[in-house]
Amino acid sequence: MEQEMCYNAREDESCLCAVEYVQRLALESGAVQSAKRDSGDNKVSNHHQLEWTLGETWFHNMRMLGYIWEYVYASFLRYWLKWAARQVTGSCELQRICTGFQPGATRTSKAEYSLQFSKNKITGYASLYTCVEDLRKETFSSDNMGHEDMLLKLWKLLMPAVKLESRVTKQWGDIGFQGDDPKTDFRGMGMLGLTNLVFFSEHYTEEARQVLSHANHPKLGYSYAIVGINLTEMAYSLLKSGDLKPHFYNTVTEHPELHHFHHLYCYLAYEFDKFWVASKPQSIMEFNHYREKFHSHVKVSLQQPGVALKLTGFSQH
Amino acid sequence: MGLLSILRKLKSTPDQEVRILLLGLDNGGKTTLLKQLASEDISHITPTQGFNIKSVQSQGFKLNVWDIGGQRKIRPYWRNYFENTDVLIYVIDSADRKRFEETGQELAELLDEEKLNGVPVLIFANKQDLLTAAPASEIAEGLNLHTIRDRVWQIQACSALTAEGIQEGMNWVCKSVNAKKK
Repeated sequence: MEQEMCYNAREDESCLCAVEYVQRLALESGAVQSAKRDSGDNKVSNHHQLEWTLGETWFHNMRMLGYIWEYVYASFLRYWLKWAARQVTGSCELQRICTGFQPGATRTSKAEYSLQFSKNKITGYASLYTCVEDLRKETFSSDNMGHEDMLLKLWKLLMPAVKLESRVTKQWGDIGFQGDDPKTDFRGMGMLGLTNLVFFSEHYTEEARQVLSHANHPKLGYSYAIVGINLTEMAYSLLKSGDLKPHFYNTVTEHPELHHFHHLYCYLAYEFDKFWVASKPQSIMEFNHYREKFHSHVKVSLQQPGVALKLTGFSQH
Repeated sequence: MGLLSILRKLKSTPDQEVRILLLGLDNGGKTTLLKQLASEDISHITPTQGFNIKSVQSQGFKLNVWDIGGQRKIRPYWRNYFENTDVLIYVIDSADRKRFEETGQELAELLDEEKLNGVPVLIFANKQDLLTAAPASEIAEGLNLHTIRDRVWQIQACSALTAEGIQEGMNWVCKSVNAKKK
């Protein structure tokens, strides 16, 4: 435990990214400039307003300085201060917190702060879940050009030789959607489901097309996109329950990101297809039975300490 | 041993099992309804590939509810689940007016099935939470429900999302099973 804590503290680095700070700064200075412009245009500006504007400007400047300080502290100073303290005291930040404070709110809050600002795998897993959850909650909307483009991209990647005759067409059934408009098929998985489908087709194009050809088999076939959305649900629930922790701790050196989750989905999509074909099911009506079986296989392999679920297809990635 | 068998006898007779078949077009809300009946979370629903089954205790019955996927490709398999059905629940998306004709045709075909002869049918006019939803009376008229003479039937407005109207529908299901068994 002690070792683990020291490791976390050594890995400590700022989580707050520079881009966010620059954006905030730009917003702030933009607000100041518009305030100045307003007062300039208004030649008969009364005394009070000028005072107010000046006050605002001063306030904004102070806030900006605050942000700069926060950024410098979080990204550089804190790291070096901690390093210096470690050299002097010979113990890591968490050890110093534990020896310096009595058990209680202060000690716990300080430990919480220390861990939150550590860019480590443990807090990384939680923030990955937040990202995944945000994407899941984003519902597919035909008014969103980005969403529509992704859908058309999915078609082009999977069916490069066939032209989509119109946006609403029975052709969607050829890649395994239920009706003539895929928008109602994403349901509780939202944009997470579509993003996974597109990611698989884009990064493992050969494999995805092979899986699609199996799915379109007249006897052993299944609905490619619908099964894909069901497998997104499987990946999501494995992430939510914490079952994926060993996999990410083993395969990702820094904190896990969204694309790591998409890669895991690709593994499930590819492996489920192999499992389904090898099982020779009677009909598509047995899908949930084999889905459950596959789910337990995956859970068993996730319990191995050295687990690393990687898609081994025909091309190098 | 002796005590155990006495205790077993004291336990009230096991719940009567009822087989309920849940059918309707895709995206009608069958799985959401099933999850509502079982008091499960409805926020992670995915399209049904194949079927789902759940057992729910209600009013002294053990309801075995079969939720079969509604996608056109799967509809030919519906008939494999007709046998021994006690009640048919047919779910309609009341806001999907473009497919009223299609859903009416599917229902008419079901009512013509020999294996479903005389089976009580409950029609859930689902998605009443949507502003564009047609009222149950309009759907009943469009589907010519009043021409059904060979069985008891009922149409119930509901929202599987908010659970409104579901209890009323299930009360009717239990009532019609009781009437049939007597």
